[in-house]
Amino acid sequence: MKQFTSNPFYKFILFPIGQILVFALGASLVLSLFTVLLAYIFRAGITGFDLVERVLLILPQVVINGLTIGFVYSTIALGYTMVYGVLEFINFSHSEIFMVGGIVGVELMAYFDHTGALQTMNQYVIIALAILLGMVISGSLAVTVERVAYRPLRGAPRLVPLISAIGMSFFLQDAVRLILSLTTGEFNVILPNFGTFDEFLVVAVPGIATPLRFQIKSILLVGVTVLMLVGLNYLVNGTKIGKAIRAVAQDRPSASLMGINVNMIISITFLIGGALGGAAGVLFALKATKLDPFVGFFPGLKAFTAAVLGGIGNLTGALLGGLILGLLESFSASYLSTFTNGAFGAEYKDILAFAILILVLILRPSGLLGQTVGQKA
Amino acid sequence: MSLLQTNNVVKRFGGLVAVNKMTFSVDEGHIVSIIGPNGAGKTTFFNSLTGIYKPEEGEILFKDHSLIGLRPDQVSARGISRTFQNIRLFGSMSVIENILVGMHIRLKQNALDALFRSKKFNEEEKDAEQKASALMEYVGLKNVGNELARNLPYGGQRRIEIARALAANPTLLLLDEPTAGMNPNETEDAIKLFRRIRDEKGITILLIEHDMRVVMGISEYISVMDYGEKIAEGTPQEIRKNQRVIEAYLGRDAASSKD
Amino acid sequence: MKTFFSELFKKANSGFWPIVITLGFLIVGTISVYQSPRSLSAFLTLMLCPLLLYFMKINMKIKIFIGLLLIIVILPVLGIRNIFYLEVIFQMAVFAALALGLNIVIGMAGLLDLGYVAFYAVGAYTWAIFGSKQLSLLHSIPGAAPAGAEFTLSPTYFWLFLFLGVGLAALAGILLGLPVLRLRGDYLAIVTLGFGEVIRVLALNLDKPLNLTNGPQGITPIQRPPLPPEFIIGPIRTLLTPIVGRPPTDAEFYNVFFYFIALFIIMIAIMVATRLEDSRIGRAWTAIREDETAAIAMGIPLVRMKLAAFAAGASFAGAMGVLYSANRTFVSPETFSFLQSIGVLTMVILGGLGSIPGVIFGASAVVILNIQVLQNFSLYLSELRQSDAVIPIINFAWKDLSNQLDPAKYQKLVFGIILVLMMIFRPSGLIPAERRKRELVEEKE
Repeated sequence: MKQFTSNPFYKFILFPIGQILVFALGASLVLSLFTVLLAYIFRAGITGFDLVERVLLILPQVVINGLTIGFVYSTIALGYTMVYGVLEFINFSHSEIFMVGGIVGVELMAYFDHTGALQTMNQYVIIALAILLGMVISGSLAVTVERVAYRPLRGAPRLVPLISAIGMSFFLQDAVRLILSLTTGEFNVILPNFGTFDEFLVVAVPGIATPLRFQIKSILLVGVTVLMLVGLNYLVNGTKIGKAIRAVAQDRPSASLMGINVNMIISITFLIGGALGGAAGVLFALKATKLDPFVGFFPGLKAFTAAVLGGIGNLTGALLGGLILGLLESFSASYLSTFTNGAFGAEYKDILAFAILILVLILRPSGLLGQTVGQKA
Repeated sequence: MSLLQTNNVVKRFGGLVAVNKMTFSVDEGHIVSIIGPNGAGKTTFFNSLTGIYKPEEGEILFKDHSLIGLRPDQVSARGISRTFQNIRLFGSMSVIENILVGMHIRLKQNALDALFRSKKFNEEEKDAEQKASALMEYVGLKNVGNELARNLPYGGQRRIEIARALAANPTLLLLDEPTAGMNPNETEDAIKLFRRIRDEKGITILLIEHDMRVVMGISEYISVMDYGEKIAEGTPQEIRKNQRVIEAYLGRDAASSKD
Repeated sequence: MKTFFSELFKKANSGFWPIVITLGFLIVGTISVYQSPRSLSAFLTLMLCPLLLYFMKINMKIKIFIGLLLIIVILPVLGIRNIFYLEVIFQMAVFAALALGLNIVIGMAGLLDLGYVAFYAVGAYTWAIFGSKQLSLLHSIPGAAPAGAEFTLSPTYFWLFLFLGVGLAALAGILLGLPVLRLRGDYLAIVTLGFGEVIRVLALNLDKPLNLTNGPQGITPIQRPPLPPEFIIGPIRTLLTPIVGRPPTDAEFYNVFFYFIALFIIMIAIMVATRLEDSRIGRAWTAIREDETAAIAMGIPLVRMKLAAFAAGASFAGAMGVLYSANRTFVSPETFSFLQSIGVLTMVILGGLGSIPGVIFGASAVVILNIQVLQNFSLYLSELRQSDAVIPIINFAWKDLSNQLDPAKYQKLVFGIILVLMMIFRPSGLIPAERRKRELVEEKE
């Protein structure tokens, strides 16, 4: 048994994928059951249609949408949680790192569209290139931002770097807008049309009237994020750099005494977090199809909430938190209006995240998977 | 009758038992010390007494009332003041303001008094300012009232911390390693100050200390902690002779303590 | 070079020079604004006066006299001559009050509140709902108001609502604070940000099931309090007619009127802030900001004191909200965005956390920057664009410059740069806070 668990294939591939599967299915199942239960309870009060039937009708689609957006949140949340783990600092500008990744990716695809390569080249290669470029640009931007705006403030009172990060976030939004406006005369970027890519994979499931529809994009999105999560798990738990990151997160002064170049490790942390954010941005752009420089705000805040929900500083927690948040958002967007008879609708989905954030922070500030650590006096 | 009495106090952090079944008492008007090697759980015990930590088990009685579950500010209002191992002054406030913060619970003014500068407010502030100045002199500081606390030398900061703690008019003063980092002369002065606080103001003192000269010199009673437990207690003479103490603690520091 | 300037300043700040220089700026500024109401440099010259008044060594009574002369007589009169300046000084007053409120929360108590504008919204919507026809439109769809709807309350209720706004905003502060003030500082920042968004989303969507806020279209018209009676306005009008060159209109009087209400609220805000700061409560706030653990060990009830700070800060925003909705006769959710919260934060940071003169300066500077300097810069760029001018060396023709480059629209960029630079180079602000020096008995020995 011991031999089996120390087998790298198990440890770095099978186990993380299994974990992701369990989280995704578990969270979906719990929320679905809860919603159906609610539908049964409220069924009698609603006349004109059968509430349970209506809920079940769209349930599979709601779950799929929730998981898709949930994986994006998870990927962004990893950036927040890694930086928090190492520096105990909320990297407020991470949402802009995400936004930059998305815009860079879309711009690259638009360029391919412009040159005609979009029609001739393999679409998957183009997307891979876009993700890669998004990762590189976002990663380097994150490192630069840390060098310029955070590093000089290390050791200052907690709120000082946070305010600097807020400033950086605002600066980046308008800087990107300025660059886009000056170069293209327009600060909205629109994803070019992909042929097969926007299509749906229709799977008829016996026993369910409406067949399931998976957008190819969504499948791709989930696939790529899972791949990155597995990669990150290997990087953090299986390599020397990962060990150094964990050491710095645990105890910076001691890590430094052990000969670890702390500044370097912090830069690498920002690089990894930024690259993940950039990739998430490109994937998000595939779904959203239209981006502007201010698009990072809500996904960023939700991802931060996801990180706190899972237990900030905890990588697995960020994954779980992101999935839960994505699902909750999808459920509330689809069902809030049905349950309240139209009084409250999908427009409240954005503030749901804050409600969750406040509840988590009050009831269990250490998050779902975090440990309660005694406060130092 | 004892002023402070703890029975079987237990404080855990996860699996680690930092304070284990501490039963301990401080008599009114005494100077009592808790000694023990680093990591023995002394400061954790202090934090449990003052409400920063909530002990998992046991009871803490102060003037026969339980302190368990009270917040630090409520404990302070009952008459227990403290200083910190690593000085925790309000660095960007002036010295006099630091002492005035210590008086917080003794002041009666409310927001309306402050807004309308009522007679009550003005008199109370003036009175408080005078008391704070007097306290400053009492701990041996002069003409530094308007200095920012962080600009004072180390010894001075220690003194302000004591003055700030005294400002709350405590019955029991908890001092957490009050002479750490002081040179022999400063230590000598500090010991005199502690004695004066007890003799002149009648305040009971409980202190944590490493410096054996301080402990042996002024304590009427000593408790020794090791690995979260009380391993011995008694008068300084008894502690000097106690075999377990010598093994656990004095043995390691015998050179410095046998003078 | 540096010593040269400090020598110069020392020289200028001794003897009779301070009063001469300040009065000089006052007179030159007043005349040049009067002569050329559109000139930015003229206005900036005049606005240097308050700064000079603050820094120069002048007898306190003269200082107060000149200051009052400037803000009570000169600015309103110049404002009536050029209505744009009335807008500038009104905004300066509104934001100064907001910054003073936020300063209590962030500067004194050290609680980073990123959703401060929510309390402003509470005040604004309170009067907007009760001071408009909205209450009789509760069951109608936004934009489809039936004819003949009546105002619910008479406009004189404005004064009552000024106090109600204070109370409701303070209440909102306490309700938000109760659950979240136990949190660590950085979490608190995010939660308050969320609260700000929640209020905005509510304002945006509470047009159903009951049409409370009229949704994204906002509420209009909102009533204004009646002007002072004619026997006060009349003589002032006669007095001003030759100075302004025409009889001032009621609309202009309204703007001056609102400016004075705002000034009055600022006076109260300054008084409350200074008096609280120098009391048991203010000391407790500073102690909490400096070291929470030590503060609580000294007997300070953390949550109660933080709540007090939250409520006090929120109440100013509430009052200003009521005033704002009456002044604009219109509110909409977009006024209360996250950008506004950060704008007020920028004012506080720029001026100096915890420093009352600092945040007033910060508010004025940011307002002037926002609605004057950036606007002027935009105007200048568009003029260049229409000219044939070319940047030498790189040979860039101005007319090729993208017309997207409109500095007035780049507030976020400006706020962002200010925040980052201030944190790195001058975290205590341009006019840092000072502790009060006390005349202690022992020092007289």
